[in-house]
Amino acid sequence: MDMMTLLIQAGVNGLVIGTMYALMAIGFTLVFGIMRVVNFAHGEFYMIGSFIAFFTYAQWQLPFVVTILAAVLLVGVVGALVEWALIRPLRGDELTGMIATLGISVVIQNTALMYFGASPRPMPDVISGLVRVGPAVFSWSRIFVIIAAALVIGAFWLFMQKSRTGRAMRAVAQDREAALIQGIDVEKIFPLAFGISVALAAVAGAMMAPVFSVSPFVGVTPMLKAFIVVILGGLGSIPGAVLGGLLLGMIESFGATLLGAMVADMLQLALVIAILLVRPSGLMGRKEA
Amino acid sequence: MNTTDTTVAPPAPKSRASASGLWTRLALVAAACVAAGFTPGLLPNLFYVHIANLTLISGIFALSLWIIYSVGQLSLCHAAFAGLGAYCSALLSLRLGVPPALSLVIAGLFTATMAALLGAVILRLRGVYFVLVTFLFGQMFTLLALNWQDVTNGANGLISIAPIKLLGISFGPRSMFFYLAFAMFMATLLFTWALSRSTFGRAFNSIEQNIDLAESCGIDTARFQVIAFAIGSGIAGVGGALIAHYIRYISPDTFTFHNSVAYITMLVVGGRSIFWGAVVGAAFLTPLPEFLRDFEGLQHIIYGAIMVLVLRTLPGGLISIPSTLRRLTGGGK
Amino acid sequence: MKTSLLTLSASAIALGTFASAETMTVGLVAPLSGGGAAWGNAMKGALELAVEDINGAGGLEVGGTTYEISIAAYDSHYNPNDAVTAVNRLIYEDEAAFIVGPLGSAPLAALVPVTTENKKITVTGGFTPIAMAEEHPYSFRAVLPTQIYGNPQIAYVVEKLGAKKVGSLFPNDETGQTMANDISTGYEAAGADASAVDYYERGRVDFVPLLTRVIAQGIDTFELDGSPPQTAGLLVRQLRDLGFEGNIVRTGGDATNDILAVAGPEASEGLYVHMEYDGSLDSLAAYETRYIDAYGGTMNAFSPLFYTTINMIFEGMKAAGTVEDSDAIVAEMAKLTDFEGPAGNANWMGQEVWGVMRQQYIPYAIGQVTDGTPTVIATCDLEKCE
Repeated sequence: MDMMTLLIQAGVNGLVIGTMYALMAIGFTLVFGIMRVVNFAHGEFYMIGSFIAFFTYAQWQLPFVVTILAAVLLVGVVGALVEWALIRPLRGDELTGMIATLGISVVIQNTALMYFGASPRPMPDVISGLVRVGPAVFSWSRIFVIIAAALVIGAFWLFMQKSRTGRAMRAVAQDREAALIQGIDVEKIFPLAFGISVALAAVAGAMMAPVFSVSPFVGVTPMLKAFIVVILGGLGSIPGAVLGGLLLGMIESFGATLLGAMVADMLQLALVIAILLVRPSGLMGRKEA
Repeated sequence: MNTTDTTVAPPAPKSRASASGLWTRLALVAAACVAAGFTPGLLPNLFYVHIANLTLISGIFALSLWIIYSVGQLSLCHAAFAGLGAYCSALLSLRLGVPPALSLVIAGLFTATMAALLGAVILRLRGVYFVLVTFLFGQMFTLLALNWQDVTNGANGLISIAPIKLLGISFGPRSMFFYLAFAMFMATLLFTWALSRSTFGRAFNSIEQNIDLAESCGIDTARFQVIAFAIGSGIAGVGGALIAHYIRYISPDTFTFHNSVAYITMLVVGGRSIFWGAVVGAAFLTPLPEFLRDFEGLQHIIYGAIMVLVLRTLPGGLISIPSTLRRLTGGGK
Repeated sequence: MKTSLLTLSASAIALGTFASAETMTVGLVAPLSGGGAAWGNAMKGALELAVEDINGAGGLEVGGTTYEISIAAYDSHYNPNDAVTAVNRLIYEDEAAFIVGPLGSAPLAALVPVTTENKKITVTGGFTPIAMAEEHPYSFRAVLPTQIYGNPQIAYVVEKLGAKKVGSLFPNDETGQTMANDISTGYEAAGADASAVDYYERGRVDFVPLLTRVIAQGIDTFELDGSPPQTAGLLVRQLRDLGFEGNIVRTGGDATNDILAVAGPEASEGLYVHMEYDGSLDSLAAYETRYIDAYGGTMNAFSPLFYTTINMIFEGMKAAGTVEDSDAIVAEMAKLTDFEGPAGNANWMGQEVWGVMRQQYIPYAIGQVTDGTPTVIATCDLEKCE
């Protein structure tokens, strides 16, 4: 394998994990931007999404489109309910809200463990087979993730730019008081934003399920990565989350391919810390306080 | 996490403590000491002593985290500083033969110095960004402990760490260690108490309430924040060193992000308005999983549910139970 | 202080257990959730089945007393802190007669001082040499470490399969670091180059960048040993996704069922796997059926190994006429030879390697996966595989 092939291979893989991180981070940053809550349970909704994929696609053999829709609707509604029942009463205090999401995360993960057991469940690929471009080899299942994730991110972008609700959300994120004055019903925006946020995590989980298999613990790593991406991109910034996700994916992929996993992990953290020290509010974040 | 758009009613129970209140509390402390003297003998078996030991050390961690919190900062790398202290003390006693009682002190000073250096660099980051950078530093620590194998022995960890000996008494056995842990815990508690009543404490408090106001009043907020960060992290380092000489084994797994989060949880569930909350939180949450063992698979679910429930019903934490009850029964101050 | 404490707790026990004086608790500490759960649950199943045998036959008769056995099982989460707390509970609260577990070297290193101090027999799956150290005379190991079984198998892989350049990935922890060392030494001794190595954080799921790096170094064989079962499955799948066509071998730590489940039969075709014992034995088929009837799913090969060691402890108790004097029990256990178990006859070994004889040894084998099932292609002893 020559250097060129190695780089192409690393680039494509960077796109795969990058788009996945971006999907996770968009939702994470949305909730933070609007509600000022760091949602530690974000990864658990990713996990729920991957289990939905397992049951609808692998077990009941429904089309994958149905799987995605089921993940969005089910997790979206559950997310809105969680916000309404558990997080809303704690609003006004970020720290308490953050710890509450931690409790929610423990409950969801262990409930899944009790019902589904710890062992991972494999899933068939949505599209199987390999693509060979010269000496470089990619699997269709990964290319599929890139395309699907790009479509979902695009749809979300349109929603935020064009729809009334999307614009209202952006207004709340920018300045809650001003949004209130303009007559935006913040009480409705919060559960909606939370629902959309975790639905995006569920989509990411559903799409990655065939690639990485399904278990109650699959959400832990994506959650930590989303955390790093959001720091990198700037808290509350959606373009920052996309950019940060892709960047982190690339750093990870090229770093691990060229330098090895451990060096890549250290490098990744050092880079993010360096960026934060130079630009304390992340690549595309607004200045805080 | 002291951003401007959170406008919670400022808690102000501290200044109310009258002279008689002070004596009541001192009497309570004395009573606690007497009670502790008998505790190891009264517990049904050594397992309870072990849990009591872990609870006391958790108390040290939670209290030291409160000191940092009291200047309006939240550290997500508290466990990393505990780990730094643990590795420092363990390595000093293993490699250089320093007596553990001395290496414990050095570990505390070393950790405090490191925290001061780190704090000087990152404390210019305000609010949530500070929290995020501490998270990254915690991750860095774990990776370093894993990969710097010549020093830390990597993932294998350090084994056969000597127990603490003082004046010929070994604090290795569980019931003996209890007295040491209790003494260290009380020292931390009294120190935190004294600190919160001192000029420092008042400065800390005004920073926590409103950093901009404090700054315009001429308080050098950055200096106080660095001091609080160094003191809190230094105490955590001593706590970590205590664990190292008690369990006599440490590895990168002993001090992870999850431990940092656990300490914050203690603070929040116990109540953050005053340092007693940290004590209550540690005393409630550390033994809780053990009481829930009989529920097998449900253990963690119940643990999580209790956490959410406490926050949901008592936003001020467990420590606010008396005042909440008073309010509910119609009285109220 | 200490004596009064002991008498106090002793009287508390006497009061508490007077009514049912003939129950004996045995303990388990193992990962029952997370990464090592496949192994931990296999250990738990082994203990439960062994206890079921004894209680079903009316209890364990030792020195004229018949004991009904109960189990106290705690999750170690593969974490040293949790393992230490669990073992403290087993020793002081449950007063377990012996302890099955822990799995993993870090948990073992953390808790073995406590079990040695309290003279509790442990049966571990940890590969660290601490398990076989002279100063821990109550620590037994049910599973052969790479150090022992690696070389004969590696020699087979190099000679018969023609491996010249071998690539591998290991988890960056105590198990991985120990294994990487043992395995590369083994391959180099057999005349192959095993320098294409990298480490990953436990819990990682995307290995494509690392595998790309390893494949780019021109490997012809990939070694899976050292990775947890599910991770090994992901590795096989992602290797084939990258178009790797060389041999994939796993020279230790049974994971075949999990690899097949995660990677699927197609990607696993032709895989060479370590078998903890000769999988074609009838006694084994019977045990496996019983295990699957009881717990469903698939059986990890650790289970019959632990089942055998646990029965050896019970046998030692009977011969020693005591359930409390661990020294006497250990002495009687040492006398057992060719102890019959579902996976074959077990003996103790380890004198030349560690200077102690507390390592259980059952002849093992190499299998190849065809159409989704492994078949034995060579059986091994301590010298070679044929």
